[in-house]
Amino acid sequence: MAWKHWSFRILGVTGMLVVWAGAASMLPDTVLPGPSAVLQTIWRNLHQPETFYHIGVTVRRVVVGMGLALVGGTLIGVVMGISRVGEWVLDTWVLVGLTIPAVVYGIVSILWFGLNDFAAFVAIGISAFPAIAINMWQGVKAIDLSLVHMGKAFRLCRRSLILKVVLPQTVPYLLAAVRYALGISWKIATVVELIGLSSGVGYMLHYWYGLFSMRQVLAWTLTFTGVLVLFEFMVLKPLDGWVTRWRPRVST
Amino acid sequence: MAAQGLDVERGPVRATPKIRLERVSKRFRLPRGRELLVLDGLDLEVEEGALVSIVGPSGCGKSTLLNILAGLEPVSEGRIWVDGKEVGQSEVRVGYVFQQPRLLSWRTLRGNVLLPLEEMRLPRAEREARADRYLALVGLQEFAHYYPLQVSGGMQQRVAIARALAVEPEVLLADEPFSALDELTARRMREEFVRIWQATGRTVLFVTHSIREAVFLSTRVVVVTRRPARVYLDVPVPVPYPRAYEDDRLFALEKEITREFLRMEERDGPHDVRSAWASRE
Repeated sequence: MAWKHWSFRILGVTGMLVVWAGAASMLPDTVLPGPSAVLQTIWRNLHQPETFYHIGVTVRRVVVGMGLALVGGTLIGVVMGISRVGEWVLDTWVLVGLTIPAVVYGIVSILWFGLNDFAAFVAIGISAFPAIAINMWQGVKAIDLSLVHMGKAFRLCRRSLILKVVLPQTVPYLLAAVRYALGISWKIATVVELIGLSSGVGYMLHYWYGLFSMRQVLAWTLTFTGVLVLFEFMVLKPLDGWVTRWRPRVST
Repeated sequence: MAAQGLDVERGPVRATPKIRLERVSKRFRLPRGRELLVLDGLDLEVEEGALVSIVGPSGCGKSTLLNILAGLEPVSEGRIWVDGKEVGQSEVRVGYVFQQPRLLSWRTLRGNVLLPLEEMRLPRAEREARADRYLALVGLQEFAHYYPLQVSGGMQQRVAIARALAVEPEVLLADEPFSALDELTARRMREEFVRIWQATGRTVLFVTHSIREAVFLSTRVVVVTRRPARVYLDVPVPVPYPRAYEDDRLFALEKEITREFLRMEERDGPHDVRSAWASRE
């Protein structure tokens, strides 16, 4: 039942709000403002066009950076999955890429490319790609080889084998990678904005941090979280349902 | 039409066979420089339009033989002829029906039949007409837009048969296609298979471990030995189609082949555990 899982979702959110309100009532407003104060701030922010400008800027950086990471990560992950040599050559790099703190990418790309959007795209792209590459690598390794044999017996060329038999099997892994990359990308975006840019959600967080406004810091965090949740429900979930439409639903 | 010209008179004058394997050998390399000889100079001829079954002990290399024709395994030695012309392995146009349906679950049944057709240089309309024709032949035209996981195992296997036939192969390879089905479904599928085979007149090479199935389906039954596989027995089944399961002639033939099969097993001695291990390495 659709209403049933929604009621549980609402229960989860209210539970969290109750815990938050309880904690806030015992602490001064500068340390932890309550939910109602923060929601009021969010409401007031939403009446200012500037807010949407900053959100828009961050969304664009996240989307472009993540797009770069998806293309690069998928390509590298697939190569690692289908070729032994590719795996030997690339796996160290992917692991190194995963280990280096994202702040380093942010600092380096700002030093190289200056205080601009391009630096943000590069930093986000490079930070998010190892996670995607690893997901796709595992995805390609988990493919059903008997289907590949079938394809070969029916004389599918290499390109068709990859496009029609291998890649569709990795779609669930790709979706997992997108979700993961989205989380990473937005974190890096705020970090880059915080260290070097003068626009975006990260910049605003930095600004209100400078003014010691806990209320605004929480308001901006929650606002952008809301954007991501919206993206999950408006884009990723429907997409997920569409690409796995062939799977019979498990009914409870 | 397919059933004619199949009385295998082993005379010197015969029509050119559709498929001819000449001294085909297959070795697998094992660790520490050892080798496993799976096929040892196998000779086999399949007449145009015949349905030839290959029966042998498990692990004897029956599937390897089909994989060689499908170009999935390179031959070590030997030659392959199609219509009297020597061909490379990957030049034989085959349709393959596996033990499992091996359908792409994200494509509709029709999409699955279309898959190999998309590789052939056919106009789109012709491709689709062909897919629909073969889906209809296996009785699934109404389910064309279903996804594989929404239909039964027997239906999935029928889609696999339609897919293999849709490429209009020079030889249809079937590797125990009914062994994963329950017996009643398998029985119905065998009858269906004979009907479909007769409707298309394709040449079929059918691997099975069941002598009963082989005798019921085939125009000829070929018994091969334990690894390395060689032809041990090659008998025609001179019973007209459609056949009944309870036909006494089939039953007699089944008994006779089974007796020969056991004799062959006895001759080859107790199962060699060492070579069984070697094949697993």
